[in-house]
Amino acid sequence: MQNKRFSPFVSSKNSIGKVMLDVIIALLPLCAFAFYTYRIWFLIVLGSALGGAILTEILFSGIFLKKWKGILDGSAIITVLLLVFTISPLTPWYVAAFGGSCAVLFGKILWGGVGKNKFNPALVGREFMTVFFPMVMSSGDIWSTKRIRYVYEVEWFNFIPNAHWAEFLNELFFVPTGALGEYSAVFLLLGGIYLIFRRRISWHIPAFLLVSFLSFLWIFEDQNLNYSLGGILLGAIFMATDMPSSPSSPAGKSYYGLMIGLVAGLCIQFGAGFEYMSYFILILNGFSTKINQVFMPRTWGTKIDWPKKIEEVFLLTLSVLTVTFAVLSLHYYGYIPYLIYIYIIYIIFKFNFSFSKKLHQPI
Amino acid sequence: MMHIPSLKYKTKKQPIAELKDASVYRIPLQSYRSTLQPLVKIGDQILQYQVLAEDVEHQFAAKIHSPVSGKVIAIDEHYISLKNDFQQQKITTEIIESQQLDLERFVQVLKDFGIAGIGGAEFPTNIKYKVEESKIKSLLINGIECEPYLTSDYAVMRHETEKLLKTIAVLNQIFQPEEIVIGIEKQHKELKKHFEKKFKNHPKLVIRIHLLPNEYPQGGELQFIKSVTNKEIPKGSIPANYGYLVSNVGTILAIYEALFNGIPTTERVITISGNAVNTTGNYRVKIGTPIRHILKELNIDAEDVDIVLGGPMMGKIVADLDSPIRKGSGGLLLFKKQQKSIENCIECGYCVNVCPQQLMPMQFVKGHQEDQNLLSQFNLEHCIECGACEYICPSNLPLMQSIVLGKVELQKMMYAK
Repeated sequence: MQNKRFSPFVSSKNSIGKVMLDVIIALLPLCAFAFYTYRIWFLIVLGSALGGAILTEILFSGIFLKKWKGILDGSAIITVLLLVFTISPLTPWYVAAFGGSCAVLFGKILWGGVGKNKFNPALVGREFMTVFFPMVMSSGDIWSTKRIRYVYEVEWFNFIPNAHWAEFLNELFFVPTGALGEYSAVFLLLGGIYLIFRRRISWHIPAFLLVSFLSFLWIFEDQNLNYSLGGILLGAIFMATDMPSSPSSPAGKSYYGLMIGLVAGLCIQFGAGFEYMSYFILILNGFSTKINQVFMPRTWGTKIDWPKKIEEVFLLTLSVLTVTFAVLSLHYYGYIPYLIYIYIIYIIFKFNFSFSKKLHQPI
Repeated sequence: MMHIPSLKYKTKKQPIAELKDASVYRIPLQSYRSTLQPLVKIGDQILQYQVLAEDVEHQFAAKIHSPVSGKVIAIDEHYISLKNDFQQQKITTEIIESQQLDLERFVQVLKDFGIAGIGGAEFPTNIKYKVEESKIKSLLINGIECEPYLTSDYAVMRHETEKLLKTIAVLNQIFQPEEIVIGIEKQHKELKKHFEKKFKNHPKLVIRIHLLPNEYPQGGELQFIKSVTNKEIPKGSIPANYGYLVSNVGTILAIYEALFNGIPTTERVITISGNAVNTTGNYRVKIGTPIRHILKELNIDAEDVDIVLGGPMMGKIVADLDSPIRKGSGGLLLFKKQQKSIENCIECGYCVNVCPQQLMPMQFVKGHQEDQNLLSQFNLEHCIECGACEYICPSNLPLMQSIVLGKVELQKMMYAK
């Protein structure tokens, strides 16, 4: 708390809590669909991930770092919801709890708290689960969820005489396959529209992401690509738009969305399997700071040096593609776990020598 | 830019009221980017409208005149203190033939009468109007008072309309602009009819009223020029070089007083308002009136409130109740003390979206805090300090503090090079 010495002396009623609340509101319908389809299985996964995350928050943010205030800001809930939405309802409870805990610890707390993370915490958590529980997470069994499903299909639009249209609409509203957040394309979109309407996200990232990803599919015309519409929508609307790990300017966001779509296409094309969702956003997360610099808005009354700008964008794109292929090669040879081990060592060192000293700084 | 609740209803309907004179005045010596040198000594007997101080060296701040007759009782670094003798003995000034003014003489009048930008910055008007060679395309009258609460410009437009038009007629004759535009916010659109009724008295004047959205900071000079003419002028340049003359309505009124009554800028209209005060209104006060005097006259209890001189977005907090009203103070506002807890920046980018200069304000917090190179890398020198970024910030980041202090650091770095 401090008294105001500098203008302005009025302020909007914005707060971090309100931003978080809006995201949670946008995610609630998806929770409802997950519960509708898998009931107790969904609750077990969600409950254990949430339990793991909250315990970690209390232990590390609270007891070790004495920052109790941040625990209830809602960011942990969003992280857990997004994490749970990317995994199967058959994920064992201890794996989910481990994921929730790692997402909060290695995705947020060790970076210095909410807002300071460079990578999306939910995806960090998911990557940790894949690396430390490879047998569970990459087994085909985990995705054969038919036997525990409570609902197989909906018949909400069967009143429409045209059977094709009816089926299409039914599936647009509900498909019971894939990860827990992917069941309703329509409600994923509605959540996105709500967030855009409330100005919690801007349209640039999802729009450019979808455009570039769909163009990629259209150009390569590969019918056998392994992806789900729900997964892509979840990534485009909720994951890629995570505020701290995405760029801030409209031009930067557009480029970021465009590149995620491209990287997503490449990842899927080169067979990154169930993990693609983590890769394509995490790769671009790493370039956010650089994108902010390159795509800084044009300052009022100044002109853009186009040749220089084009060169910068070209080099940036080149580095993004290089990193993408590097990650894909590591994936191909099964070396991704080492990347995560390096990340763990890096973040612990960084926290010890730098981030822990800046805990009180707001940025 | 963005919309901010204007809260002008508190004072909009109120006329311009007068205030009883104070017994002591404190004449500010700092103006724009310069400090004035006193031309009087302690003990001097002075006349009303006599010049008290001037920026002899740089000519980069407007002269200041005595609002009353009386005696100089103290001079320090920041103020000349006068004791009012309530005799109102005026200095004699020559009558200006406004019909036969040429540019050179007009600029001299502006200088002699201490005319400065009333909108806030107190930029000397004579420098602004010193048009060399370039032809004036537009004479733009800025009636956009985008700061919440303030209605002093509104009151001037509403109640001093004829004076404004008379002055505009003189400017028209001197500069022969291709067009004359008065900019008004949409929330005050009733003023359009009001002006148009008065236009009948000036058949030779062709004035266009331009209604602009209620956005902040629409009244910033650069933003105003862009909205009316679609021309984007970089910060730090003089609009006249691009063919635009821009003046606030309050400045036009000050020019009227000089031209038609021979009175230098020694008073202005201010709005008294805020969320911690019930006595609100628009008042004509003399420059140099101590805030303490105004509060006493209006029976305002200023215990435990924040007192702000200027608007709520760009005004300055008043630490000392004896500090005076300045030429650029559009308001005296009282706010309940607010304490805000600062949260972490979540990089939502709201500040980037609202910044009228298209900067990335959150980088200045980082720059001020740890890496000064970011300040110049992200063009801090282009910031107009409008405060929009801090208004919208959900984390209550100290953006303006970082910007104001960051600019000082930036200057130090420039000198070091």
